[in-house]
Amino acid sequence: MLDIAHILRDNWLLLLIGQYPYGPLGGIAATLILSVLGISLAFPLSVALALARLSPWAWLRWPVTGLVYGLRGVPLLLIILWTYFLLPVLIGQTVSGFTTMICTLVVYEACYLSEVVRAGIQALPKGQSEAARSLGHGYVRSLRYVILPQALYNMLPSMLSQFITTIQDTTLGYVINVQELTFAANQINNQLLTQPFQVFFILAVTYFVVCFTLTSLAHLLERRVARRRLGGVAALAPEIVDGVVMPAIRSEVP
Amino acid sequence: MIRFAEVNKWYGAYHALRDINAEVRKGEVVVVCGPSGSGKSTLIRTVNRLEEIKSGQLLFDGHDIQSRSNSSAELNRLRSRIGFVFQSFNLFPHLSVLDNITLSPVRIRGEKRAVARQKAMALLDRVGLANKATAYPAQLSGGQQQRVAIARALAMEPPAMLFDEPTSALDPEMVGEVLAVMRGLADDGMTMMCVTHEMGFARDVADRVWFMDEGRILETATPEDFFTAPQHPRARRFLSDLRAH
Repeated sequence: MLDIAHILRDNWLLLLIGQYPYGPLGGIAATLILSVLGISLAFPLSVALALARLSPWAWLRWPVTGLVYGLRGVPLLLIILWTYFLLPVLIGQTVSGFTTMICTLVVYEACYLSEVVRAGIQALPKGQSEAARSLGHGYVRSLRYVILPQALYNMLPSMLSQFITTIQDTTLGYVINVQELTFAANQINNQLLTQPFQVFFILAVTYFVVCFTLTSLAHLLERRVARRRLGGVAALAPEIVDGVVMPAIRSEVP
Repeated sequence: MIRFAEVNKWYGAYHALRDINAEVRKGEVVVVCGPSGSGKSTLIRTVNRLEEIKSGQLLFDGHDIQSRSNSSAELNRLRSRIGFVFQSFNLFPHLSVLDNITLSPVRIRGEKRAVARQKAMALLDRVGLANKATAYPAQLSGGQQQRVAIARALAMEPPAMLFDEPTSALDPEMVGEVLAVMRGLADDGMTMMCVTHEMGFARDVADRVWFMDEGRILETATPEDFFTAPQHPRARRFLSDLRAH
């Protein structure tokens, strides 16, 4: 325990922000930036991919389906290596590990997320889009005002778990020298040489704390949205059976 | 107002609608009845093109709604002029009652939010739910949800309303409140086409009854004639089956 405290005391800044400001930003800061940037860029892309996969036009559907299947069938590590070594050759200039990692994460997570989005859209009762269309909303409007708000809300738990996965996936940046948390921990380990268990224990606990905090926040958010939807009544989630929003038990409220 | 001319529809090999020729006139209330699987719902869903037809022509207010040459904007405009009420209500669960009603006038017709709200409140008053404006669909009973669904359809000020078994998903004690709203609409001169099993409603409110079986309209008659002296043997059997229980 004392070892761990010592390691933490000597290296907390390195774990937190890497060698910054004397080198690139690293540590937890870099890990979080990678994850947040990765998922927030991946999210709109995933919606686009999902819509493409659901589109009536085969010329759009097939290439995107191919991309999603292709990327989901290859380990992320390999895609990172491919991007790292191939991208500079293709565009004729060097690309930093950080940029490579962001680009790879965005495309890879977007593919995974697009399946979540697609499932979320398809899981909505058909009556919802029929109701929207029968009121005169076109495809885009019914998606924007009726389908996506519901689908994305229902997907919130899956999306957040994807975000947690993304945080964990950033560790793979280590292999292309992206200075994130795992990289920092490994630096410490290389300095100390004799205490790998303690160092990697700290690393594991740090990841756990970050991910656990985010999961808890996510649950809080979910509950809040559910409550708002019930107009601040009880924590009764609306039950939907065959496309019918079932009446809540306590229905006699203003 | 709604005219079917030689309308035919297949689901694969199944002939769902056969040579439908009929018309709902302006201000008329038509009740479509018949055994389940007879094509009633399919028929009513072709009117705003939730179902496509294979051949024939379907005119709504002089517009060929099923024409392949309709642009999507034209189709949307037509649909916004046809109120449709579903068996399963299909309220938008993520929106409050008020927002369910104002969404379409605001987003489609560009109505000012304040104006739309005012009109929505008037509609809610009409269906007897002014006190539920801020509630969410999940907080309402089935009958209340269906009345909101009617108000939502009316918000686009459609010249005609279609009802696809509006009371079939309701508990018996809630059927009356929905039928009362529909009755009110009929009294105000709304053009209505209703698929329903509520024969009492058909008898009291309908101007004409269409009896369907196996994708055909077998009989069209005034409710008095239909209920007292049905012409077609299948209609006679249908009515006696109804009376049996």
